[in-house]
Amino acid sequence: MATPIIMPKQGQSVESCIIAKWHKQKGDKVEVGDMLFTYETDKATFDEEAKEAGTLIDVFFEEGDDVPCLTNVCVIGAEGEDTSAFKPAGDDDDAPAEEAKEEVKEEEAEKPAVTVNTTGDVKASPRARALAEKNGIDVTMAAPTGPYGRIIERDVRAVIDSGLGAALSSGTAGIAGTGIGGKVRVEDLGKAPAAAAAEAAPVAEVTEVPLSNIRKVIAKSMHASLSEMAQLTLNTSFDATEIMAFRAKVKAGGEQLGLANITLNDIVLYVVSRALLNHKDMNAHFTGTSMKYFSNVNLGVAVDTPRGLMVPTIFAANTKSLNQIATESKELAAAAQSGTISPDLLSGGTFTVTNLGSLGIESFTPVINPPQTGILGVDTITTGVKEVNGELKAYKQMGLSLTFDHRAVDGAPAARLLKDIVFGLENFSLMLSK
Amino acid sequence: MTKSLFLDPNELRKPDKVKFTDIPVNQYKKTIEEEKKNFSKADFMRIYRDMRIIREFETMLYLIKTTGAYNTVEYNNPGPAHLSMGQEASAVGQAYLLTTDDNIFGSHRSHGEILAKGLSAIEKLSEKELTETMESFLGGKTLRAIEGKQKDKGNVKELAMDFLLYGALAEVFARETGFNKGLGGSMHAFFTPFGIYPNNAIVGGSATIAMGAALYKKVNKKKGIVVSNVGDASLGCGPVWEALNMGAMEQFTTLWEEGFNKGLPIIFNFFDNLYGMGGQTMGETMAYHILARVGAGVSPTQLHAERVDGYNPLAVIDAMRRKIDIIKKGDGPVLLDTLTYRMAGHSPSDSDSYRTKEEKDAWAEHDVLVNYKAKLIKARVAKEADFAKIDEDIIERMTKVCGLATNDEVSPRIDLSKQPDTIESIMFSNEKVEKFDDRKPDVLMPMEENPRVQQIAKRSRWGFDAKGKPVSKNKVYQLRDGLFEAIIDRFYKDPTLIAYGEDNRDWGGAFAVYRGMTEALPYHRFFNAPISEAAIVGSAVGYAMSGGRALAEIMYCDFIGRAGDEIFNQLAKWQSMSAGIIKMPVVIRVSVGSKYGAQHSQDWTSIVAHIPGLKVAFPATPYDAKGLMASALAGTDPVIFFESQRIYDVGEQFHEGGVPEGYYEIPFGEPDIKRAGSDITILSIGATLYRVLPAVDMLKEKYGISAEVIDARSIVPFNYEKVLESVKKTGRIVLVSDACERGSHLKDMAQTISELAFDYLDAPPVVVGARNWITPAHELENYFFPQPEWILDAINEKILPLPGHVSTANFTNVEQIRRNKLGV
Repeated sequence: MATPIIMPKQGQSVESCIIAKWHKQKGDKVEVGDMLFTYETDKATFDEEAKEAGTLIDVFFEEGDDVPCLTNVCVIGAEGEDTSAFKPAGDDDDAPAEEAKEEVKEEEAEKPAVTVNTTGDVKASPRARALAEKNGIDVTMAAPTGPYGRIIERDVRAVIDSGLGAALSSGTAGIAGTGIGGKVRVEDLGKAPAAAAAEAAPVAEVTEVPLSNIRKVIAKSMHASLSEMAQLTLNTSFDATEIMAFRAKVKAGGEQLGLANITLNDIVLYVVSRALLNHKDMNAHFTGTSMKYFSNVNLGVAVDTPRGLMVPTIFAANTKSLNQIATESKELAAAAQSGTISPDLLSGGTFTVTNLGSLGIESFTPVINPPQTGILGVDTITTGVKEVNGELKAYKQMGLSLTFDHRAVDGAPAARLLKDIVFGLENFSLMLSK
Repeated sequence: MTKSLFLDPNELRKPDKVKFTDIPVNQYKKTIEEEKKNFSKADFMRIYRDMRIIREFETMLYLIKTTGAYNTVEYNNPGPAHLSMGQEASAVGQAYLLTTDDNIFGSHRSHGEILAKGLSAIEKLSEKELTETMESFLGGKTLRAIEGKQKDKGNVKELAMDFLLYGALAEVFARETGFNKGLGGSMHAFFTPFGIYPNNAIVGGSATIAMGAALYKKVNKKKGIVVSNVGDASLGCGPVWEALNMGAMEQFTTLWEEGFNKGLPIIFNFFDNLYGMGGQTMGETMAYHILARVGAGVSPTQLHAERVDGYNPLAVIDAMRRKIDIIKKGDGPVLLDTLTYRMAGHSPSDSDSYRTKEEKDAWAEHDVLVNYKAKLIKARVAKEADFAKIDEDIIERMTKVCGLATNDEVSPRIDLSKQPDTIESIMFSNEKVEKFDDRKPDVLMPMEENPRVQQIAKRSRWGFDAKGKPVSKNKVYQLRDGLFEAIIDRFYKDPTLIAYGEDNRDWGGAFAVYRGMTEALPYHRFFNAPISEAAIVGSAVGYAMSGGRALAEIMYCDFIGRAGDEIFNQLAKWQSMSAGIIKMPVVIRVSVGSKYGAQHSQDWTSIVAHIPGLKVAFPATPYDAKGLMASALAGTDPVIFFESQRIYDVGEQFHEGGVPEGYYEIPFGEPDIKRAGSDITILSIGATLYRVLPAVDMLKEKYGISAEVIDARSIVPFNYEKVLESVKKTGRIVLVSDACERGSHLKDMAQTISELAFDYLDAPPVVVGARNWITPAHELENYFFPQPEWILDAINEKILPLPGHVSTANFTNVEQIRRNKLGV
């Protein structure tokens, strides 16, 4: 009996996923556990395995298609079975005919050197489109908040206000319109890239790769962060002698106690999760009109992945032991790196810790993950010198860079948080006994 | 309703019987010898000539229609031709005594009447009068086409005959030089300078209009009588009966003041050719058997009904002489059953499948041209050769006129390529006329002594007191007061203005708009009409067409159906069908009900807005009601003036300083911003304004959304600029009215806005109308008419999600599709 395979819903907030790769083609034999296709959200990648054996008798989407969650993607069954009953309904927002037409158009344009974002498959009000066009913004940048998933004026305005528009626009700016009053028509979109390509011809060879979804998201949120907020960074350092000693102890005997591999970063996370409880302005979201305070510390941990930066969250870190934090941070990092992390774990942070210390960075300016009000950068360990009883003494010095949003918090309170973190790290044994 | 006529049970319950007198049928018996004292040889011969001209005119059209040629002229006429061969004696006999002060109204088969009445007028008018008439008509355009083409140059009467034949024929052929620039055509041609008023392609359509024209003559003491020419089959139409009754209503003699207490000067003439298209009226489709019988059922005078032999011109003239005398004595109206027979078919496509050759042959034996001629020869009035000469002259004249009327150089059509606005420029006359006569208006007291005027003076003209609290209903100047002020003002300025409708006098109008009017005005300016919406509107059309100003009332909007033809085909069309010759200063007040269920609560603004040629207003505030009514009553165009029974008692809440005491006008077509806002536009028609306001408050308080409220005020014409400006600002619009949502005029507006402001729209314009149901009982009306919450529901669902909003009405797409699928 034919069985449809749906696009799974990965997390509450995910409405659709893109099919990244088909591992089986229509007509292939399939065993239980065979990989059918790989799909990705804007944040992570997943594999869909066959749960039935049989033949892949129909495939409704191609690689690159954005498929609404819970929609039938393909059908496994016996050869010759009718699959029409499973064919996804031609939802009005799918507009497959239109999509197809636009694909052809792009091909006709002979692989344009510049990707033109046509917006035919996006629902946006004329007013939103006009506003986007006027500001040279790709209307698809906007997150729809109108009825039936329609992008409305306020959504485009939000993009403009974020300052993102100009940076990420690849829309119709610079294209000569042939419509009445110079309006850019669909036909014009195909021509402009060709012209641009001709101009670009004598220039050295360039490989242009379209941005991945995750890159787009990072670009959008980072730029929004920098352009919207009043960010500044405080730098300090502390004596890492005690935590290094602690780390050495754990390394030596931790296994016996069944402890995880507790890293210096985990120690910092632990201290931060406690220190923040006394600095509610730094464990908060700034909305522009109000502050949202959180009773727990949901600690974002920046992780470098092959796809780019990801920030999984250790929820209620303040309630967790050092060992729990260490264990969870490892698991989250692994999941993020493999791209299988649940999207729900990639949001909800109230403060973030990022670490470039392992890459030898002595001091940097971390960028806040909005709407959080702060982010702590962990720097590398250097050898410092301090005066003890009139003598110069070398010690292991570790740097900290705290960026805060001056709209939400003033300099002194931020500095006080940093001071508490430094105290906690320099007196870690006291901290642990609390 | 009048206290002056006592309904005494002691009298009314007594046994009695209704007595009738005999109704004469074909009682004319005079010989030519006897008539010689009434007619000279020239008179006898002119009667022959006029009948012969009509016969030739119709024959020409018949040949053109069926063979594409008449004598030397070849022509293809695609338009209609309802010919009247056989009916010539009836037309000529009727017109013989009539003067240019006497006005005739006709039917689709009225070529003969036009020619007969025109020839009669030419005979009676002086050369100077004729020359002036021809020179001034259409700036001399019609005259220029035929001038200098007469054998007997300098003979003005000859010229005028050519003018008449040409003007009528050019009209039939839709030429710009025709009597109505070709915009009326065969079934509607007319020429008022000769007393020929519109002919009507709707069967019986002229009866109510002619009755209104007679009312004009009576009220304004104008010379002459009115003749309503309709067919025998039109007695199957309700409005004709309404016209008979209203034209003969007893108040004219029992209640109207001295000097105005005579019967209406009208002859309800029926050209009784025994067929309504193919339906035989005598014996088949009608009950009267002999049409004249009907008069006996209408009034104690039996309408002086009589059947006259319409195949004998002298019999018809004899009857007309007697009937005109009756009317002059003030004993009208009169019903005349002019028996005749149509030798031609209903139209050239008629195959006579409903009558036998024997019947046609039998009537041909009675052919008036043959028999009248024979009688005159026998009575030695003239010789065969005299007739032959007349015939020859007529054929020659007709050939000439036909050649000219079909010549595109001499007789061009309106050039809508070069002058595309020709027709649009005559859809409305858009004039302002203070008064249609200079005489002093008849009123019963100085305006300041009027009890209603004194009562209004004590009222607060602004809806709020010094503390900003609403003034109580009893103390506030209400919307109905605004209407009253504008109306009474015009009554004291324009002596021709009359107002009537059901329960207007004494009662003061069902909704008290006219309270105080009974004290101010005599019967002949303000009276109660019978429950006859068709006659109410139709008579207003005739009254205005004749030169007066009329304000008629339809008590409930739902009764518009009863006056469908009169509103849609008569009131709306005569200005433009007359090429702008006729003005139509008629205001029809229409009250939109509520609380009274399915047949008394409908908003039909959309239905009338659909018909070209009507102006449509629906004010919602006292200030707007007064200003728009003032505009309507100063204008020259037909206005359907909607009022809502929900809001007759509202005070003025918008116009700072309240409703001005003095006269002012609000121009038609200009919507008004009642509340300024920035996030969403709400356009309202009529009483829904007061349900929009709470919605606006909720939007502001709950969601921080600032709404701009625009009151349409009038629907036709409508200037979109203000609305577009608002929509360009807000990007969003909801349209609200009490009309049922399907086919509502709001949909038309929404579509227009979509087209004109597409790039500015953040969401589709959304219409919030009443459900496509019957109006349920008052207790359930909140499920039927738009409510403030519905507006928020619509916004939330279709325009801008409102966080946390809980809908009461279903505006989802799925529901919209479902309802449409079911037609509900």
